[in-house]
Amino acid sequence: MLQAVLLGLVAMIGNATFLTGTSLLDRPIVMCTLTGLVMGDIKSGIIIGAMMELAFIGAFSVGGALPPEMISGGILGAALTLASGNSPEVALTIGIPIASLALVLKNACKIFILPYFVHRADQYAKEGNGKGVSRMHMLGGLLYFNLPLGLFVGTAYYLGNSVMSTVLNAIPAFVQNGLTIATGLMPALGFAILASMIVNKKNVVFLFLGFLLAVYLNIPVTGIALLGVVTALIIVGIQPTQMSTALAGGDEDDDF
Amino acid sequence: MMTSETKVLGKKDLMKVFWRSFTMEWTWNYERQANLGYGFAMVPILEKLYKDKPEEKAEALQRHLEFFNTTPHVSTLILGISSAMEEQNSTREDFDTSSINNVKVGLMGPLAGIGDSLLWGTLRIIATGIGTSLALQGNVLGPILFFLIFNIPHIILRYICMMGGYKLGAGFLTKMQQGGLMDKVTYGAAIVGLMSIGAMIATMVTVNIPLSYGSGDNAIVIGDILNGIIPGIIPLLFTGFIYWLVTKKKMRTTAALLLILVIGIVGSMTGILGV
Repeated sequence: MLQAVLLGLVAMIGNATFLTGTSLLDRPIVMCTLTGLVMGDIKSGIIIGAMMELAFIGAFSVGGALPPEMISGGILGAALTLASGNSPEVALTIGIPIASLALVLKNACKIFILPYFVHRADQYAKEGNGKGVSRMHMLGGLLYFNLPLGLFVGTAYYLGNSVMSTVLNAIPAFVQNGLTIATGLMPALGFAILASMIVNKKNVVFLFLGFLLAVYLNIPVTGIALLGVVTALIIVGIQPTQMSTALAGGDEDDDF
Repeated sequence: MMTSETKVLGKKDLMKVFWRSFTMEWTWNYERQANLGYGFAMVPILEKLYKDKPEEKAEALQRHLEFFNTTPHVSTLILGISSAMEEQNSTREDFDTSSINNVKVGLMGPLAGIGDSLLWGTLRIIATGIGTSLALQGNVLGPILFFLIFNIPHIILRYICMMGGYKLGAGFLTKMQQGGLMDKVTYGAAIVGLMSIGAMIATMVTVNIPLSYGSGDNAIVIGDILNGIIPGIIPLLFTGFIYWLVTKKKMRTTAALLLILVIGIVGSMTGILGV
């Protein structure tokens, strides 16, 4: 019971990465180490953490998409493995399905709970109440997911391995596969939103330029960003001083 | 208007924004992403600048609850510029408030393009490489170094961006606007941002179409044919489809997200899409 409470707290610390500058507190290498500490075997916790970290290396948030919920996956994977005396590899087998299940929970919280706080903040802003806006931010983050995540991890550990695996097995394979496929598609939403903020008929060609450089010449994103800087300097340099505002991006002319 | 700029904000005020910026993604939502984090960071400055002007304060608060998203660690660059622009707005009659959000919108995409590859793509990978190699041996220095290697440069960068952004906003922005330089910078930033986005679509959106016709060795995989025409054409078309949905069809991001989940599950059920 005490361990379940402590693991719930570890999960809340992990989620507080978003309170501390997206400081990577939520990464498996940190979470599993703390889990090892709670479970009384810090060394195994660190080793599990390193393995999970490598498995989840591609899981980070970019654009508008969310990665699998690694906090619960890491903590529960490590804790259930250590409690049952299994080898570190087992932690991955348990952790990955938990991470995709918890992502569903996270999305549900984002869709059904969080908008309440965001809209209350709008209301406070309209009244010129800065303190109210601040309160909605702090409270919203705590209540929409930080606390639910702590409860989820604590409860899941308390109910134990057998119940957890029954739950996990109850999800059909095609749904789990489907979630993985959707995870690969989701960045498209983030890029579509980013693009919609700056794209117009005249500058859309640069999006295709970046795309083509990546697919045909295999230049990494950093390289293309730097080429972009050079391209921008060349083009802005040869343009006459009266740059028409239509070129400057914005929302008045964004159909292509 | 030409010369005298009234300084209202001091380093203390900027430090408040700096510390508050650490919570940028605490309430990250699908509707307007990091909007509430941005507004939260701006509150102390807006409270100070519009102390006796409740209507303008309400306007400013609402202004900073608009859509915002960029790499959180360097968001202070834009926060610094916003702080400088709000300071000018509060002391000058003729300031165009719409320019405050225009600058935000113009910068967040390009900054994310550079910030994501710098923080996520470079610094995080270095920290992970060093941290995990030690941690695999059960060494407690692994997780500790991982955390420090990422966060010490991150916090220094965050601080430089805050102070630099404010200076940039206060000093150069007016001059830039007068000479049409602002439009040039926005246009240039759009080029960098769009090229990065194009590259990220090619490398980070993954779609697999294992569906094939024919059988045995003669089977032709649809995905391979499409990739043979132009590599990565499917992620590009898919992103275009989502773009069309969220701009032309005004689909909410939450709805688009659910749609993507459904596409994934239906695709997996029918075997059209693969992992």
